[in-house]
Amino acid sequence: MPVYRCVIPEGSLTYDQRAEIATAFTDVHCGLSAAPRNFVQVVFLEATAGFELPDTHGSGTIKADTPYFVAGGNRGGRPPELKAKILAGLLDRFSAIAGVPADQVSGRISEAPASWTMEAGKVLPEPGEEPAEWYEHTAVSG
Amino acid sequence: MVKFDCIVQEGCVDEALRPQLATALENVCLEVLGADAGPAEFSWVVVKKGFGFRGGAPSQTSLVCGRIPDGCDRDTRERLLKNMADEWCRLTGATAHDLVISARDESWAG
Repeated sequence: MPVYRCVIPEGSLTYDQRAEIATAFTDVHCGLSAAPRNFVQVVFLEATAGFELPDTHGSGTIKADTPYFVAGGNRGGRPPELKAKILAGLLDRFSAIAGVPADQVSGRISEAPASWTMEAGKVLPEPGEEPAEWYEHTAVSG
Repeated sequence: MVKFDCIVQEGCVDEALRPQLATALENVCLEVLGADAGPAEFSWVVVKKGFGFRGGAPSQTSLVCGRIPDGCDRDTRERLLKNMADEWCRLTGATAHDLVISARDESWAG
């Protein structure tokens, strides 16, 4: 966690663009939160606008109402302003790297309690309660 | 109702393995949550090679996001996640580091 699913039109982004966006999302998220870099998951799903995807951190589905859409799933417990700032940063970087107008990119972030998720065999701590060992292994394991 | 959305990287969970994996995971749900929780459904989304990243690098990580009936206490939820993760790793050969698994309350709005 966090998980960012990017809905994009088929064939719209090169590998280099996707990789750059994934790195930028990691920069944005980790620059504004306490998450270690190797916890930031970014996946790209090719689909058309209007595509509905399950809300992995809430109920029902999320409708991608623009050609490019970012569906985020984060730990809950952060101030709403911070959540808004993270989303704004993601959309700004996405638009710039993909080379698409800002009105073609939208998104939302859903949140769920940290204790409802297990990663690397451990239940996640609440934001701000991360133990020091979270940051001892900065290498990406895959 | 119990429902899990499994987002897997291409090549990491063979399609032929998924029914067996789903059965093993459902058995864990039944054992931990009880039969009253109902049958478990599993859906699969495959992320194409070059379309999944972790920390900005290519990823092998599977993301398994579920919904379970409300009212699960912390210890039970942790046992559910731990046992499901153990089964996932046993059957797929993945390590714990390559799995993120969650189970949220059915009524949780996000």
